[in-house]
Amino acid sequence: MKVTYKWLKDFVDIDMPAEMLASKLTNAGMEVEEIIYLNEHLHHVVVGKILKIEKHPNADKLQVCQVDIGKQIVQIITSATNIFQGAVVPVSLEGADLVNGVKIAKSKLRGVDSDGMFCSGEELGIDDNFMPGASINGILILPDDFIIGQDIDVALGLDDVVFDVGITPNRPDCMSVIGLAREVCAVTGAKFKKPNLSYKESSIKNDMSVELKSEKCSRYMAAVLKNVKIERSPLKIRQRLFAVGIKPINTIVDLTNYVLVEMGQPMHAFDQSFIEGRKIVVRDAVRGEKLAVLNHNTYVLDSSDLVIADSKKPMVIAGVIGGTNSCISNETRDAVIESAVFDLKAIRLTSKKIGVRTDSSARYSKGVYFHSAEDGLKRFLNLAYSLGVGDICQGIVDKNRGTCELRVIKAKAKNINAILGTNISVNDMVTILNSLQIPTKLESDTMIVNVPDFREDLENEYDIAEEVIRIYGYDVYDRGEAREAYLGWKLTQGDYSKKVLLERKIKEALKYSGFFEAMNYSFIPPDSVTKLMLTDNRRFMIKIANPIGEELSCMRTSLAHSMLSSLAYNFSVGNKEVRLFESGKTFHPNALPLTELPIETNKISMGAYDITFAEFKACVENAITETGLSYKLVRSKEPFLHPGVSADVVDDNGEIYASFGQVHPTVAKNYNIPKTSMFAEIDLDKLLTLPEKKFVIKQVPKFPIVDRDLAIVVKEEISNADLESAIRSACGKIFYDVKLFDVYRNKTLGDGLKSMAYNIRLANEDKTLTDEEVTETIAKVLKALKFRYGASLR
Amino acid sequence: MREKLFDILNRAQGELNMVVNKDQLADFKVKFLGKQGELTSVLRGMRDVAPEDRPKIGALINDVREKIENAYAEKEENFNRLELEKELAKSALDITEPGKNHEKGALHPTTRMFNKMIDICVAMGFKVVEGPEIELDYYNFEGLNIPKNHPSRDMQDTFFITDNILLRSQTSSVQVRSMEKIKPPFKIISPGRVYRNDSDATHSPVFHQLEALVVDENVSMSDLKAMLTDIMKKIFGEETKIRFRPSFFPFTEPSVEVDVSCPTCNGKGCKICKGTGYLELLGAGIVNPKVLEMSGIDSKKYRGFAFGFGVDRFAMVFDGITDLRNMFRNDIRFLKQIK
Repeated sequence: MKVTYKWLKDFVDIDMPAEMLASKLTNAGMEVEEIIYLNEHLHHVVVGKILKIEKHPNADKLQVCQVDIGKQIVQIITSATNIFQGAVVPVSLEGADLVNGVKIAKSKLRGVDSDGMFCSGEELGIDDNFMPGASINGILILPDDFIIGQDIDVALGLDDVVFDVGITPNRPDCMSVIGLAREVCAVTGAKFKKPNLSYKESSIKNDMSVELKSEKCSRYMAAVLKNVKIERSPLKIRQRLFAVGIKPINTIVDLTNYVLVEMGQPMHAFDQSFIEGRKIVVRDAVRGEKLAVLNHNTYVLDSSDLVIADSKKPMVIAGVIGGTNSCISNETRDAVIESAVFDLKAIRLTSKKIGVRTDSSARYSKGVYFHSAEDGLKRFLNLAYSLGVGDICQGIVDKNRGTCELRVIKAKAKNINAILGTNISVNDMVTILNSLQIPTKLESDTMIVNVPDFREDLENEYDIAEEVIRIYGYDVYDRGEAREAYLGWKLTQGDYSKKVLLERKIKEALKYSGFFEAMNYSFIPPDSVTKLMLTDNRRFMIKIANPIGEELSCMRTSLAHSMLSSLAYNFSVGNKEVRLFESGKTFHPNALPLTELPIETNKISMGAYDITFAEFKACVENAITETGLSYKLVRSKEPFLHPGVSADVVDDNGEIYASFGQVHPTVAKNYNIPKTSMFAEIDLDKLLTLPEKKFVIKQVPKFPIVDRDLAIVVKEEISNADLESAIRSACGKIFYDVKLFDVYRNKTLGDGLKSMAYNIRLANEDKTLTDEEVTETIAKVLKALKFRYGASLR
Repeated sequence: MREKLFDILNRAQGELNMVVNKDQLADFKVKFLGKQGELTSVLRGMRDVAPEDRPKIGALINDVREKIENAYAEKEENFNRLELEKELAKSALDITEPGKNHEKGALHPTTRMFNKMIDICVAMGFKVVEGPEIELDYYNFEGLNIPKNHPSRDMQDTFFITDNILLRSQTSSVQVRSMEKIKPPFKIISPGRVYRNDSDATHSPVFHQLEALVVDENVSMSDLKAMLTDIMKKIFGEETKIRFRPSFFPFTEPSVEVDVSCPTCNGKGCKICKGTGYLELLGAGIVNPKVLEMSGIDSKKYRGFAFGFGVDRFAMVFDGITDLRNMFRNDIRFLKQIK
């Protein structure tokens, strides 16, 4: 909300630096986001009158002018062609710093002194809407009645400051000059000056009638002005509209805008001659009804939209935008002025649906209150009367659905202090509320708060507490005036939750395995399922109705796309030995489109390149063994993993807790990542279902352990896991440990064969093993391996 | 006999001085101290010594043997030491070569800040609760006093899936879910990921929040200020100050913006805080009694306060990260700097 300091001063007597006022407003919850000095670039520019124009002795295109600037006569050299003797013009003198960056200094032009420069409208930051002639390519010729020697900012009414105030949604009343003026009263203690709402009617009767046919309108008021003069508004009106960023148009339209800014009441003006039957009907639109409006578009409406119509046609999309069929034009003689209260939800919906946002719809969308329609219209008529815009007809048509009830909140200082933890006196509270124009009186220990209708946000003692504290000042807590903290608090038990703790453990394990944590959006593109070659129901992703873009339109069903994309980014910038992990949710719909909330699963992904399968596998195992999972590895069927170089981590029931391995070469190509990139996805939620890690403690062997190394030759397809398990069972009771320490492949072994070298460790709980026992056991192992896997000793 | 022994001792000492390696030392041992060595042969000659001289000569032999053995041991020790030194010198590594296996990784700045905040809050008696990221309109909005089509919905640009299902725009949704289940007094925090349809240099459509809710019989704005001051000090250091500014959130009344003294300049004013000395870092307030009632909590008896952190922003301030894009780009050249 933009408001000027001078405009505020119309309603409150204050005189303090703009910064100080801004800071007071901000501390009261009206955040001044920007202070704009309209005259920032207008200093050292004055109103001057050209007394004499002579040709420059040394330059054909230059003229030498003698200019009266009040206190003295200065000499200005110019190349401008639109000046004339007697013209009143803006003169910039030494020290001026114009809006286009030009700095003025005394100088010599072709040997003749010049004290400064004449200015164009553009150089003063104004245009034709502000002052006629300001847009031309030449010097701005000012009206003759401007005071010679006056500073130009004062002459143009730009010796003012604009405050841009962020208004929170609970305070639509402050989207107006008077609303902010009330706040200024409260923060400064100054008195509020009510707007002038008086005017004189002419003898002409109001010849309009209004019919309310929709619940979406609770009040509709209409005034009629006859014999209006459609012309440029007076400078003061244009100055203020210009300052708050509204383009001046003509007397009638400007006044509706002026009242919108000042009073917060949107208005609409009709050319009465286009209102069929002199009757306004406020009704729901008929489905399919069309209206061409002032933004040059035509909209098709339906019954959720509200229109202002006459007996034959819609004329306005209510609260949003007017139609071209009935608007004010230069030919308008008689005008009808609307001031109404519409349902904010209906206006919001329509504005959103047709995508049209106007000052009016913005204001209506936040809520307009019952009395503002009347005050706004009366203020319009007051201004129209004082400016002599036209003849005001007798009486205002006022159709409404009952007046609004006065609300009273009974509040106790004790309760408010309990909410705030303060000791503010009841008298201070009453003073604060009254300064906010909320009439409040004290009855014994109870404050009787009469809530004005513009403060719909006030409902209970908590709301009153906020009004009190924001004006009283939150620094109360720093001044030692507040109640002691944590008084009477009950002890509560802190708890991390199982999930947070396990997730942390796994993340820490990955960190120490050399992995860096990544974070990706949860959104992925629709084609990612194809790039990943997914075949199962992870293809069915939840779509966002209003995504940022197609690339970010689906909720991920796997962390793979995000991780592979992160690898790709790192690869593309030449990063080496990349190891990343990410913890995040995947989203799995029961049905599409969604009818209920989807299943959300917590997953952890890992991705790396410049790493071997064995190294990567160790890192995955480090992470998952943070839980009590006892698992085995089986070949993975993940479509985006290399079928021969990937594994699923499964329990005895075949439940998959994680899948990892080398990325499928096709997928690696799809993502432009190294062919030997690794990826893992761990199902955190499944790991969370496991009981906490339990340890089975075996006796540390009392008798010496005997080591035997055994190298065997087997076919390629025989797995280490199978061989180890055979060794284990062949050793029987005296088995202690087995470890594969070397794998050797060579043509001399024979095609499709490999040599596996194991270190087998044996121990007996009760006695030292004898050589015979050991030899016998190793022989048993060999026999078993030969029998089950065709192994031979190397 | 006596002369013979002195001769042996003299020669032994002389020869030992000439020994330059372990092999020669072994030869020396054999020659003088071995079973066939010179001393042994002298000992064998004891037979020829007169019985009354034997003890004297015996003592002398022992004395000589001891001297030679000591000298030998000293020499051996010397050789061993030299050998070890040589070996140590040979096996010295270039300690400036990079460490092998792998370097340590790192947690994301946001995670580190989450951990920090959760640790602080759990120690203060807060319980961690989590909820879904795809949420019902009710829990994200209506249960928080934000009705459909209400102006306060404009404060957050929300991603919708259907009319009634959305991506949560605040973790306050978890608080509504929790209040339906647990009985006061309680303290809960809900950390998690949230979504808003807003994407530019300073806004990410995905970010993270940690919201805290305290409900008890006698809580006030003063307690909120005290608790937030405690938490901020634990995050940013003992010098930290906070200040409240009035604001608006539909689910709290009164509502405040909380400014935290800039940890970069300690409130003196710098580029990061735009010279103000303070950073606008979080929102807080007394829970609107309407919200308590909607969740079935007696607002006559209980009062609550709530506050919410933007965790990513806290992490950026804490770690001095100025470009938001770094937080989601996962470039290891960035991630490696915050180990």
